[in-house]
Amino acid sequence: MLPFRAKALLLLQIGLGRMAAFILAPCYFAVIRLMGYRIRNLRAIRQACRREFQRHEGPWLICANHLTVADSLILSYAMLSLPAHLRLYRWIPWNLPERNNFQNPFLVLLCYLSKCIPVQRGGPREETKRTLDKCTYLLSRRQRLLIFPEGGRSRTGRVDREQFSYGVGRFLADGGGDLQVMCLYLRGDKQSSYSLLPGFGERFMVLMDVFKPEKSALTGLRAQRDYAGQIIQRLAEMEEKYYDIYRQRHCGSDRSRQYRKEQGQPVSAAGLHQR
Amino acid sequence: MDEQKIFEAMITILKPYTKDAALLERATKDTHILNDLKVNSARLVDVIIKCEDVFNITVDDDEADTIRTIGNAVELIQAKLA
Repeated sequence: MLPFRAKALLLLQIGLGRMAAFILAPCYFAVIRLMGYRIRNLRAIRQACRREFQRHEGPWLICANHLTVADSLILSYAMLSLPAHLRLYRWIPWNLPERNNFQNPFLVLLCYLSKCIPVQRGGPREETKRTLDKCTYLLSRRQRLLIFPEGGRSRTGRVDREQFSYGVGRFLADGGGDLQVMCLYLRGDKQSSYSLLPGFGERFMVLMDVFKPEKSALTGLRAQRDYAGQIIQRLAEMEEKYYDIYRQRHCGSDRSRQYRKEQGQPVSAAGLHQR
Repeated sequence: MDEQKIFEAMITILKPYTKDAALLERATKDTHILNDLKVNSARLVDVIIKCEDVFNITVDDDEADTIRTIGNAVELIQAKLA
């Protein structure tokens, strides 16, 4: 249970963030444009997210793969247009960035005004519990929470089905039936592994899937592990789909590849994303 | 089950999750599971689930949050078995 003071501070953060959004949101949209980042089918993705958010007001647990520190910004950009950031501030998801990444006071302020709750990974359990309590409170207020279930940037560059954090499962195990899960898979064309930032001019693909985890027959920590495992499994399946789409786009479908071989035409060499 | 046996069982449980097995040889009840043994925080849940299996006990979230050292785990297990 979150103490009254912590609730009041969170509501203050929402109020200040809402006002700051009129300055910060256009700035961060401008930065994304300046970096030359582009997202394929951006309009369709935003429409799909809007449809889901209108269908279910909240709470939402938005789970994504994690390859760069800019993922949460790019995902927010992919989900919501600039007017939506300003008019539907409530729809912008909360983030749980690593506290150690925010040592600079300017970044701390930016983080505070951008719906972030810093968390110290592997830190004292009491602090982690306080953060989880804040998240539970926000979910009870039908907010959206963006979580990277892998617990950090994927060191292998692929969704890690073995070494993932079970924290996300805690929300599902403890949360009511109202909590909906949206899985997002984000990857830049040149992103072969994890990095600090995506490359300049990167072109991204975003896959979205609304997912209802199967009710776990287990309890306690086992249920948390089960739910987290289901989400990771779904993200891994989306990754497979991403590579299927990527291969078809860059190498042609198996059928066209076969056809080109038969016709004696050149066939693309195995590329970065070809297994 | 006496404290020493639980401690030894804990060392066996922690072995697969500890990056450097030599650290376990020097482990005492005061050894911090995350800081000293460098067990990944996400894997601490696996350690607790393994304890539940080995000792046939149930550890809830709040109890799990209190485990920081091997001694904390030993005391909790001992209390559950009593």
